[in-house]
Amino acid sequence: MIPQLDYAFYVWSSYGLFAAIMAWQFIQPRVRRRRIIAELREELAMQTGNYDDPDA
Amino acid sequence: MLSPMKALLRRDLRLAVRHGGESLMPLIFLFAVIILVPLGVGPGPNLLASIAPGMIWVAALLASLLALEQLFRPDLEDGTLEQWWVGAGSPAALVVTRLFSHWLITGVPVIVFAPLAAEMLYLPDSALPTLMLSLLIGTPVLSLVGGLASALTLGTNRGSVLLSILVFPMVVPVLIFATGGVAAAAEGLSASAHMGLLTALLILAVTLVPLATTAALRLNIE
Amino acid sequence: MIFHRLKVGFHRLGSPPTFHKLCRVLSPWLWAGFLVCAAIGLYQALYVVPPDYQQGDSYRILFIHVPAAWQAMAGYVIMSILAVIALVWRIRTVEIMTMAAAPVGAAFTALCLATGSLWGKPMWGTWWAWDARLTSMLVLLFIYLGIMGLYAAFEDRRKGARVACILVLVGLVNIPLIHFSVEWWTTLHQGATIRLLGESRMHPSMMSPLIWMTVGVKLMFGAALLDRARNDLIDQDRRKNWIRQLIGEGATGDNA
Repeated sequence: MIPQLDYAFYVWSSYGLFAAIMAWQFIQPRVRRRRIIAELREELAMQTGNYDDPDA
Repeated sequence: MLSPMKALLRRDLRLAVRHGGESLMPLIFLFAVIILVPLGVGPGPNLLASIAPGMIWVAALLASLLALEQLFRPDLEDGTLEQWWVGAGSPAALVVTRLFSHWLITGVPVIVFAPLAAEMLYLPDSALPTLMLSLLIGTPVLSLVGGLASALTLGTNRGSVLLSILVFPMVVPVLIFATGGVAAAAEGLSASAHMGLLTALLILAVTLVPLATTAALRLNIE
Repeated sequence: MIFHRLKVGFHRLGSPPTFHKLCRVLSPWLWAGFLVCAAIGLYQALYVVPPDYQQGDSYRILFIHVPAAWQAMAGYVIMSILAVIALVWRIRTVEIMTMAAAPVGAAFTALCLATGSLWGKPMWGTWWAWDARLTSMLVLLFIYLGIMGLYAAFEDRRKGARVACILVLVGLVNIPLIHFSVEWWTTLHQGATIRLLGESRMHPSMMSPLIWMTVGVKLMFGAALLDRARNDLIDQDRRKNWIRQLIGEGATGDNA
């Protein structure tokens, strides 16, 4: 049973909000980790001297 | 011979007297609120009387926030705060002394001038004793939780915004019981339940806050 | 014997590489568990459970609102337990976990408030009511934000975490007081309020999706907490050897 039309907006926006917040909690740490690791890789490469330009 | 606590209290009060202008700030703040609110909501006695307890209490609360950022910072910067841990007095007792002097400087003037503020906002005379009692019990709690927030934010360099965010949840119960009691007294009802709960809050704050404040200060000077 | 093993395991958790590994292994399973529970729960909540005879379909928001509210509070309890462990035993990984719990708890508090508002509009006719529970939740959100702000304001992360742990415990004492006082305040000022969870008793079929959602949300809390703790650990230990080894192996890389 899909919610009746009168309440559909409120119900669906609640569920949508739930999905959005869960997705945000999933994605945000992953994006941050990727950024930190990229930074660290670069630092490490600079220090050890075998720096290969990843874009090259 | 002065005990370390007495010496600290004397020094704090002497400093407050010397910076006379700054110590008047809580009062100026109180009356700024008391004068601006009628200008904002209109001079109707009924409306003003009904919001008077809340206004006076919010003004007292904001006034207590004023000096908080500088409560421990100067002592941290000149190194006297570290002396609290190596000196003769117990650090917790010194913390309580400092909070007490903060209350004397920001809380007591508000209490003294509260009857005038109450009169200006048409608070019924029957509610005045309850208002005074609520301020007497409640403002020390404000100083205590404010001091705790001040100690927690001591090691940061953007204390003031953070300070108000930390203080606000902690004073919610105080505000509710105090203004609720005054409002009850204004309607001719008994405020003893409110005042009892407020006293319980004070006892709780007096027992727990010095502990947490001392721990926070200690972490911050490490 | 078992106790001894537990103790050893507990101490191992304090070692950053072990903790990092635990996060990496556990988090995908928790996320998967969350997805399964949420899928079952949401299906039942939207399609299986019949409409309420009083509230129609609007009560379906309950299956989001109530688990979020429970998790917002349970999250605070978990954070407080972690804070006690962090302060007493001074274990750095636990300090990091405590601080990682705050943003997730705040997210659930915000979700609870937003869905409460979305439920209040059709039920009460306003987006916001000074209902005791909503008001306490709003204050709880500020407590969470205060903890996050305090932690973030310190340059020395470790010191920030320990000071914020004290604030967590202060909040633990404070929350029941706030709840009680706000309840007292609303009964004085409003008389009888319309409750969201009114007199109408819960239909037995409503229990099943509610339980699925609650369990799912708990798993998700653990997963998000571990994800964040892992990031903080990597960020703080960026100069340490074990991190360099990890990056060398590529174990934390894109496949993570």
